Amino acid sequence: MTSFVNIQFSNLSKRYRRRSILDGVDFKLHKGQCTLLCGTNGSGKTTLLRIMAGLEKPDTGTISTGLGEIKWRSYRRALQAKIMYLHQHPYMFDATVRQNIAYALRHGYSAAERDKHIDEALQWADLEPLAGVSATTLSGGESQRVALARAWLRAPAVLLLDEPMANMDQESRLRTHALLRQLKSEGMSIVLTSHDELQFQSLTDRQLRLKDGRISTDSIQTQAENVSAFPIGQTARHHTA
Amino acid sequence: MESLNSATFDAIRLLATGDSELWGIIGISFRVSTTAILISIPPSLLLAFMLANGRFPGRRLLISVFSTLLSLPAVVVGLTLYLVLSRQGPLGDLRLLFTQSAMVLGQIALCVPILVAMGHSAFQAADRRAWETARTLGASPLRALLTVMHEVRFGLFAVLLAAYGRIIAEVGASMMLGGNILNYTRNIPTAIALETSKGEFSQGIALGIVLLLLAFGLNGLLHYFQGKGRFAT
Ligand SMILES: Nc1ncnc2c1ncn2[C@@H]1O[C@H](COP(=O)(O)OP(=O)(O)OP(=O)(O)O)[C@@H](O)[C@H]1O
Ligand SMILES: [Mg+2]
Repeated sequence: MTSFVNIQFSNLSKRYRRRSILDGVDFKLHKGQCTLLCGTNGSGKTTLLRIMAGLEKPDTGTISTGLGEIKWRSYRRALQAKIMYLHQHPYMFDATVRQNIAYALRHGYSAAERDKHIDEALQWADLEPLAGVSATTLSGGESQRVALARAWLRAPAVLLLDEPMANMDQESRLRTHALLRQLKSEGMSIVLTSHDELQFQSLTDRQLRLKDGRISTDSIQTQAENVSAFPIGQTARHHTA
Repeated sequence: MESLNSATFDAIRLLATGDSELWGIIGISFRVSTTAILISIPPSLLLAFMLANGRFPGRRLLISVFSTLLSLPAVVVGLTLYLVLSRQGPLGDLRLLFTQSAMVLGQIALCVPILVAMGHSAFQAADRRAWETARTLGASPLRALLTVMHEVRFGLFAVLLAAYGRIIAEVGASMMLGGNILNYTRNIPTAIALETSKGEFSQGIALGIVLLLLAFGLNGLLHYFQGKGRFAT
């Protein structure tokens, strides 16, 4: 499965108990694009993202790639290597920040290479001072940066983020914004959710609105000027997925 | 009771001088119980994890079956396996009755329900995101499982200690399945039962001291881990 992106979800529906949350969602994931999924609280943003991440099974719907329709099981198996999902509150393993980041490293590196990549990831997300700290004690914004560093290290084809900036102060937002921009510039397809449409305007290529279980607008946005708030070194990637 | 005093002194002397019969019995106890728990751990914890996180038909039924088996009397396990392993039983041809293997089987039957039922609770305490994060970071199901186990390790240690504590001190199944043969299937609890019934208290007291020390040790470890678990969260 080489061209994993450009993947089409059709007629997705999901109910919890008897309540219908998603009801006929059509959604296409475009390669290299950044999509913002907005909607009010409870509109089903997280649910849709978790379905795309393979964590929640839709009740109905089909998934197809350029090669045709694929079954839910094979989708789940294939996406494991390609899609990464970040929880709204990223989970930190009971270990140091460094070990938490190292978890995302793919196999096949020598010990020296591993150390080098992890160092780069720490530096990329500005986490060097926290490297030896127990990750479970981090603040929300710091955990989010650890999660982004993992994404950077893992370099998935598709990155799904659930409200990456909720509960963040202005500085953390700018920082996260800059990190996301970096990931995008490296070719990752990004889908993120927010209930604030303005927050990601300069980053997103299109905005979708979830309403009454459906996607009500699929507007392609002209890409706004890139204004990077934080200078970030370290652009060269050390590996490809 | 003057004889009890001298029996206790005798017991301490037996322990201190490394009485070979006594230490042989202790060795058999630990060997049998350690084998039993090591065999039981992988499948039990896997099942416990699936019961805590999976969604499959029969899940609730399995959970209540294992919680019921928790309070299964050891003699009933002994009796059941005795019937299965005896000459006329379905597995009689294996000639396992009155061997250490039979004792191991009995202790497996006793500790699996503890590992499954209590392990299920321990896994339920884990954050669902731990599994999901591990998987989304590319971990294989096995690695993700090990990661979740690491996250709830203090709870799991408590489960292991509880299971080990039960099987090492259990007398009913070992007596019926092992037959209490000296230097072969006589372990601590069956030796205590035998010696006491013969009116020879010193060896029984010595073995009782060992069990007591073990119980103290396991409890100490348990408190240590539980304390750690509390601070870690
Ligand atoms: N596991 C579940 N069981 C039952 N109901 C659920 C479950 N997950 C989500 N729901 C319900 O589905 C609806 C949509 O939830 P979802 O989390 O997708 O919304 P959201 O758009 O992400 O909201 P928010 O902006 O608050 O994050 C909610 O009403 C929620 O109660
Ligand atoms: Mg949500």
